Amino acid sequence: MPIVEARALTKVFRRPDKGPGLAGSVKHLFARRFQDKVAVDHIDLSIEAGEAVAYVGPNGAGKSTTVKLLSGILVPTQGEVRIDGLHPQRDRMTVAHRIGVLFGQRTQLWWDLPVAESLAVLRDIYGVDPATYRKRLARFDEVLELGEILTVVGRKLSLGQRMRADLAAALIHGPQVVYLDEPTIGLDLAVKERVREFFRSIRDEGTTVMLTSHDLADIEGFCRRLVIIDEGRIIFDGDLEAVKDRYARERILHIETARPVPLETLRASLPGAQVTVEDSPLRYAVRFDRFTMTAGHAVTALAGLTDLVDFRVDEPSIEDVIRRVYSGELVLG
Amino acid sequence: MRTVRLYFRLLGAHFRSLLEYEADFLILAAATVLMQVVNIVFLAALFAKVPALNGWTFWSVLMMFGAVALAEGVGSLFFDGMWSLAWQINRGQLDYFLVRPYPVALQSSSAAIGINGLSNIIMGAIMIGTALAHVDVAWTPWLALLGVVLLISSVVIKVSINLATNAVSFWLASPTPMFAFAMHQVGDLARFPLTIYPLALKAALGVVLPFAFIGFFPIAFLLDTGQSRWIGLLTPLVAAYCAGAAILIFKRGLRRYESAGN
Repeated sequence: MPIVEARALTKVFRRPDKGPGLAGSVKHLFARRFQDKVAVDHIDLSIEAGEAVAYVGPNGAGKSTTVKLLSGILVPTQGEVRIDGLHPQRDRMTVAHRIGVLFGQRTQLWWDLPVAESLAVLRDIYGVDPATYRKRLARFDEVLELGEILTVVGRKLSLGQRMRADLAAALIHGPQVVYLDEPTIGLDLAVKERVREFFRSIRDEGTTVMLTSHDLADIEGFCRRLVIIDEGRIIFDGDLEAVKDRYARERILHIETARPVPLETLRASLPGAQVTVEDSPLRYAVRFDRFTMTAGHAVTALAGLTDLVDFRVDEPSIEDVIRRVYSGELVLG
Repeated sequence: MRTVRLYFRLLGAHFRSLLEYEADFLILAAATVLMQVVNIVFLAALFAKVPALNGWTFWSVLMMFGAVALAEGVGSLFFDGMWSLAWQINRGQLDYFLVRPYPVALQSSSAAIGINGLSNIIMGAIMIGTALAHVDVAWTPWLALLGVVLLISSVVIKVSINLATNAVSFWLASPTPMFAFAMHQVGDLARFPLTIYPLALKAALGVVLPFAFIGFFPIAFLLDTGQSRWIGLLTPLVAAYCAGAAILIFKRGLRRYESAGN
């Protein structure tokens, strides 16, 4: 049985349809008009225990709304959600013990309390026994390096510190399912890397993770399953590596040679690849399909022609693929 | 029991911030005491002109003032977060409340401590104490116990009305608790004997938003003032009704909660 299941999940927000300015607002008082906005439109989704799912989509596609529906924060307009077979509103208390939620844009820490106190309050709310609590905290500390920030008051945390503390807060009760909504937003690279390592560690322990992120580097190497939502509908749900294999086939080999080599010579030695000169006359870019040529083959061919000073292979990230999907350039099947 | 203990734990999380803003605390406490003193001076001035209001003497009205102050004090000291509910809804702050295994209404109401409530409680207790020393009641242990039950009921009624009127914010999208505040003002009328008001107002304060059960009815019973003193005995029932209705309204409202965009 899937641990998270959504059937025909739909959320319609009713927004007041006001004219511009004060005049519009006053008019609205007398003649109320509303506009329906369908944020999530008949979504079917089922997540098995232990899965790591990337949930991506452009701004306003309905990602956060889905997370709020799946965690029981919002009541669906239509359709239903089950968490481990339970109804998120009717069995709210039980469900709360099983799920952990992090909204990257919003903290759940207490403003005036040191992080350690905030975590202790959550420990009491969830009824985590002291031994388990200490063990979990020690484990989080290994990856998130909480030590230095435990004594800092909520309002004095930097963004990076806050996110690390919030991650600990979202997982302190050992939830089976974790929803992470934009968990790396605004973080610098070093912190991002640490946070990603933390994701991997919770995934490897068997926690089910649904990750929503704008930074697709978050999902690469972390999620096996990719779900793309656009305008409230799921437009793709499948294996992330398969998508990469199919749509991110292009490789770019950047080379630097000791002496200038005529382009024609290079092109002749690499049929099927496109060769162009880059920013300096000694640097070239070789584009090829990884299914017709390997990088090793290309390097060997080139090394026979000239002295290679340096070379590097770029592979397109899932980011490029998804950007093409957003722009409508690519339809995943 | 665990719920209660956790409630104080959550309240306590804000106690620290309270101590950090010491000046706020002193100003608020002083303002609250001053307001109650003004109330008493006003009452004294009023009763210097008239000996009694429909059978209510200065001391019995003072006791009513005391009961209302006490109920309000408990409301602000322990449940002040309710007044932030409109803001919490508007800002989407209920998101995290909704995923924690603790009642959402209690997480909301414990989100602030109204330290001015402490001065209201003390002033209220002093008013009730002083009044009791001047009124003529044949106290028996049972009557005293009943008095305590009535007092607790009146506190429950006040807190429930606060919760219900603030929960209206789920329907009005405003970030400020205008409706609840307006109703709170209306409730001030119930510090005087209900009998002096026209019928419509009696119905409003006695039935629709039963502010009259916070002071008037239970004290009329205890001091044996007026004709229908038995109504005061209904106070615990009214309290149960108010608490139930408030919880129901809150739960209905919660279903409408739409969070806030990111």
